[in-house]
Amino acid sequence: MDLTAYEDYAETLEALDDEMRFEYLLDIAKKKRGEPFPEEAMDDAHLMHGCMSRVWIVHDISEDRHYFRGHSDAAIVKGLVTMMTDSFSGLTTAELAQITLDHVRRLNLGALTTQRQVGMMAMLKHLQKLAGARPGFQAA
Amino acid sequence: MTTGVMTAAPALRAAPSHGRNTYDPAAVRGDFPILSRTIYNKPLRFLDNGASAQKPQSVLDAVQNSYAREYANVHRGAHFLSGAATEAYEGVREKVAGLLNAPAPENIVFTKNVTEAINLVACSWAGAHLSAGDEIVITQMEHHANIVPWQLLRDRKGIVLRVAPVEDDGRFDLEKFAALLTDRTKLVSVTHVSNVLGTVVPVAEVTRLARAAGACVLIDGAQGVVHQPVDVQVIGCDFYAFTGHKLYGPTGIGVLYGTAERLAETPPWQGGGDMIESVSFEKTVYADPPLRFEAGTPPFVQAIGLGAAIDYVQALGMEAIGAHEHALCNHAMEALRAVPGVRPIGEAPNKAAIVSFVVDGLHSMDVGAILDRQGIAVRVGHHCAQPLMARMGIESTVRASMALYNTTEEIDALAAGIRHAQKLLA
Ligand SMILES: Cc1ncc(COP(=O)(O)O)c(C=O)c1O
Repeated sequence: MDLTAYEDYAETLEALDDEMRFEYLLDIAKKKRGEPFPEEAMDDAHLMHGCMSRVWIVHDISEDRHYFRGHSDAAIVKGLVTMMTDSFSGLTTAELAQITLDHVRRLNLGALTTQRQVGMMAMLKHLQKLAGARPGFQAA
Repeated sequence: MTTGVMTAAPALRAAPSHGRNTYDPAAVRGDFPILSRTIYNKPLRFLDNGASAQKPQSVLDAVQNSYAREYANVHRGAHFLSGAATEAYEGVREKVAGLLNAPAPENIVFTKNVTEAINLVACSWAGAHLSAGDEIVITQMEHHANIVPWQLLRDRKGIVLRVAPVEDDGRFDLEKFAALLTDRTKLVSVTHVSNVLGTVVPVAEVTRLARAAGACVLIDGAQGVVHQPVDVQVIGCDFYAFTGHKLYGPTGIGVLYGTAERLAETPPWQGGGDMIESVSFEKTVYADPPLRFEAGTPPFVQAIGLGAAIDYVQALGMEAIGAHEHALCNHAMEALRAVPGVRPIGEAPNKAAIVSFVVDGLHSMDVGAILDRQGIAVRVGHHCAQPLMARMGIESTVRASMALYNTTEEIDALAAGIRHAQKLLA
């Protein structure tokens, strides 16, 4: 599977120290990459529940591949969501189902609190649910 | 009140390591081991005391000593250690009574925290004495711990919950409160100090008004007892509850003060050992208060830790602690107002050392996370007071809550930290 974006993030993070990782995350949050998150998608239907800040995720399918865009009202969380949606977009359902905690751990690298790792895992599960890549789970 | 049994233990350093009349935060800090550690290689600046305060060495020693030298179940064994543990535990009841100026140790019920104390009153006292249509008055600035137990009671018994408003600046308006009292008001349950706004509620006046209307009064003193001297007889309330971990004591121990009259008319809450006089399958006779409300083995080690914490703050003097924190609070309000884009939430004239604020254009979580990277511990979120957040038209705040060991230097670091967050997130 093509995890180029994910590898880019992971390798960049691995080369940085904790303090710089934190700033890198803020840079990702601030960078306007791709299309801006559509204003009309910042609604309850796209809200990911259970976060301290609000997180919205839009899911599209093109040629059997899943594409995600995410947004949050908190900058650090926006950075995390962006990293997650960039990393795991363009995968098939079967590929997405193979993404695990180990992948998430590589993006975390101790720069963040364990609480945020839990948040990132919740994001991964949310992406998988939206894509139907978690058997037995329905997107809320 | 210490006995021969108690003095058999090694002398514990109960008093702070400095003189009584000179309040020296630097010396006080030396009593708290955790304050010398670093976080991300930066000195820890702990400004989340409203959630839980740190513990002085004397509290750690008391807990350690209890486990290492005096440990046995209380109220049970016919042996030396059980006697020692029981005396120590019951001695703390006297200390708590002293702290609150309660008439007697029998007015003091131990619980696991303030939440449990409020639930005890809601389930047992209010459960027995309130009926459908009776009214309870709370305020808009209550912690969820002083909202949800009454909602449970409402659902069970059909009582009516009325909510006294809070002003835009966080002030509590006595007249608006008084207007809510009716001849159906059976209980007024208010916080002493708002855990978000820092507002000090004039609880003595509230009690006077409630009494005149024929209502009983419960005060949530979780944030009240830590910032100022408290005298339950001057206040005149029926119940006063607080929690040990915010008063430099261990977690797992809380207090419910009740007047003799109220406690006597409160039916047992939980059943089990220790709360009975005699048990047979035909008839069980309950113990008198306070033991009636302490079913099962109580958290007596934690209580002993709380006793050491009370010794500690009393040696410093609650007045002196209050004065120090008052100065810190004024310094904090000034420092925050000097940062463009920072809006304090809660500017009541009578305010304890709890400072909430929002930063224009920034999410509280981001501000908290950036402060954290600088070793500054604050709380962000709704602080278990969602109705208050809704009233103030915000979703969350950053909260700096100060304790007896905080310094103006730490407040200045907070202000600098906020400016740093603004720069990073611009
Ligand atoms: C005003 C107030 N009431 C109640 C509580 C609940 O305290 P505890 O969790 O110890 O029961 C708190 C603290 O969290 C508080 O600040």
